Amino acid sequence: MKGYHDIVGDGGSRVLEQVVEQRARIRDGLAGVRHLVAIGSGKGGVGKSTLTLHLGHALRARGLRIAILDADFNGPSQARMAGVQGGVFVPGTRKVSLPRTTNGIGIFSMGSVIPESSALDFESTARGESHTWRATREFALLSEVLGAFEWGELDLLLFDLPPGAERTVQYADFLDPRTAYLLVTIPSEVSRGVVARSVAALARGSHRVLGYVENMSGYYCRDCDAIKPLFPEGGPARADLPIPCFGSVPFDPELARRCDEGLPLADLAGTPAGRALEGIAERLLNGLEATQEHPR
Amino acid sequence: MKFLCVPCDTPMKLQAVAPPDGGSLSVVYACPACGYEMAMLTNAYETQIVQSLGVRIGPAGAAAEDAAAKAGCPFSAMLPGSAGTADGAARGVALDPDAVRWTAAAEARLANIPEFVRPMARTGIERFARERGTLEVNEQVLDAARDFFGM
Repeated sequence: MKGYHDIVGDGGSRVLEQVVEQRARIRDGLAGVRHLVAIGSGKGGVGKSTLTLHLGHALRARGLRIAILDADFNGPSQARMAGVQGGVFVPGTRKVSLPRTTNGIGIFSMGSVIPESSALDFESTARGESHTWRATREFALLSEVLGAFEWGELDLLLFDLPPGAERTVQYADFLDPRTAYLLVTIPSEVSRGVVARSVAALARGSHRVLGYVENMSGYYCRDCDAIKPLFPEGGPARADLPIPCFGSVPFDPELARRCDEGLPLADLAGTPAGRALEGIAERLLNGLEATQEHPR
Repeated sequence: MKFLCVPCDTPMKLQAVAPPDGGSLSVVYACPACGYEMAMLTNAYETQIVQSLGVRIGPAGAAAEDAAAKAGCPFSAMLPGSAGTADGAARGVALDPDAVRWTAAAEARLANIPEFVRPMARTGIERFARERGTLEVNEQVLDAARDFFGM
């Protein structure tokens, strides 16, 4: 009797064929993107999304072509922060164009599609059992976004990953093997511990983890023009993460305000946070050029 | 998943797909050698797992696909003003002389994009057209909107 592998094709269901076609669409759509960089952490609330947007602006200020894909479908924030909540996805002859910021960063965020008063939901034949299928459905949606939108010629496509150490690894397994990872922590042992787990998990899959950024590394007081501590100092020495530190970004209330209101960030380049981000952008670009793309 | 007709040792071929009914999908396979037919009936979990892959069983244009297309945007319940129509547009062109009309070519472009972005794309482009003093969306308007909004 024939076995599964003795039979060519699937008898007409086309399930596997459609998955392969989708992968080909994604590959073709990203062919013009020079670098894919995923910004994650594992820990929630460390500022991945704000850092992604600020880093995007720092890279754009160097004249690079940048787009951001807000992969946090359940808690999208890039649309609001980038000021494209009212952006319009315009159909072209083959693909859909992305809304862009005033300085030309392309943004895909579910925040442009679904109002903040609603939660992402999917039609389902198995309602109440979403733990069995929801992650698969979200990755199918990510496939659709990657395959249907016009990424064009880009220097960097930044992925803003959702929180959760296990989610970080799931995205790493899904994304193109060319993708490099930049992790974000804050100056707390709790956060560093979670990020260390993410590093370990990513290392198991031979993913290309370039380094990390310490966000909220003090706060910038405009009145004093000084950086003051946000987290306790002088405790036991912090455990080192086994990846390079690309820089430390102080919390700046003005940056936070502008993100909430979706205002441009360009004129904050000279602030301590802006200078830190320029350094991180420099180290990221050097890291991307220096490391080999990881074959999988 | 593949099906084998054991007596003939021949792979069976998909014959028909019925749209989900109560969460169950009916997929009929037949043996091209002896003509024996069998139906695969999925439970709601199995149906959902296939749907979660973002694929549809059967050739393009199959009944299941048509049914799924008619079901409309998967996020329709979350979108303001969608009214449960296929792409969220409030169709009422015949009744409203001020409604924005879409040419067939422009509609074809819209149909080519993911269902979940169609409602906001339609609304945004119609607003763009009105702001430019036209009540017709054609390919030129789409190209102008693309230059204005897109990258």
